[in-house]
Amino acid sequence: MIWKILLFLIIAFVSVAGIAFPIVEKPEFWYQFPLIPGLEENAKIIFFHVPTSWLTVIAFLMSTIYSIKYLRRKDLIDDAKAHTAAQLGMIFCILATVTGAVWAKFAWGSFWSWDPRQTSIFALLLIYGALFALRSAVEQEEKRATLASVYSIIAFVTVPFFIFIMPRIMKGLHPGSADDTHSGPVVDFKMNSNMLLIFYLSLIGFTILYYWMWQVGYKSMIYKDKLNKQF
Amino acid sequence: MESLVSFLSSNAIYIVLIIVLIVWVGVFGYLFMLDKRLKNIESEMKGENK
Repeated sequence: MIWKILLFLIIAFVSVAGIAFPIVEKPEFWYQFPLIPGLEENAKIIFFHVPTSWLTVIAFLMSTIYSIKYLRRKDLIDDAKAHTAAQLGMIFCILATVTGAVWAKFAWGSFWSWDPRQTSIFALLLIYGALFALRSAVEQEEKRATLASVYSIIAFVTVPFFIFIMPRIMKGLHPGSADDTHSGPVVDFKMNSNMLLIFYLSLIGFTILYYWMWQVGYKSMIYKDKLNKQF
Repeated sequence: MESLVSFLSSNAIYIVLIIVLIVWVGVFGYLFMLDKRLKNIESEMKGENK
């Protein structure tokens, strides 16, 4: 219960602070964000867009972990957990793509410009989209779970490359690309400490939110499977 | 449409608001899916009790 109250407080604080705190050239007070050249007010997207892609990685990682567990123990509960995590990963992957595209319209001039970051997330969407196609194509439960687990493990191998490596070594429009002189590599944010604090709070808040969604999701899936087996 | 785009580019904070809204639509969609699944479970359990 406590972590749910904490989640509410974090998300409420991040939503208010992330939107309302002003961006100024030389921050003097704790509630002011620094101006990042080339991003300006648009920089506030970082509190809401980056967590979605962060959750994509977390969710796909969880899906892989539970897929490995399933292959070791052959317990269908692990498969339900892996499947729910993959579903959530897909939802957040789509959200990251859509929020990024809306932002790109105003930052880069068009919704889609095949920037390395956009290309890599598109490839990721296709790879994980195929996982759901695979699941829906197999009727028999154990066979479906085994195939999906193996596919999920193989698919995850591409995630670090597509999300962390490729967009950083290639030149592109996305902040953090190889030739980005304004905001630098993503790991070296031009943020001051309070912007960083709200950014990390946002990551923590969204991670807890993900955990909650995942828990409710897999529990309902397990009960549905149980009921289906009784008839 | 053109005026909306120019309004948004001069008032970037609204872009951030739209993005927050999109994120919540995603979370809402997931809740909706869960709700459907639970309703299925509910109706199956009712069928079992009869």
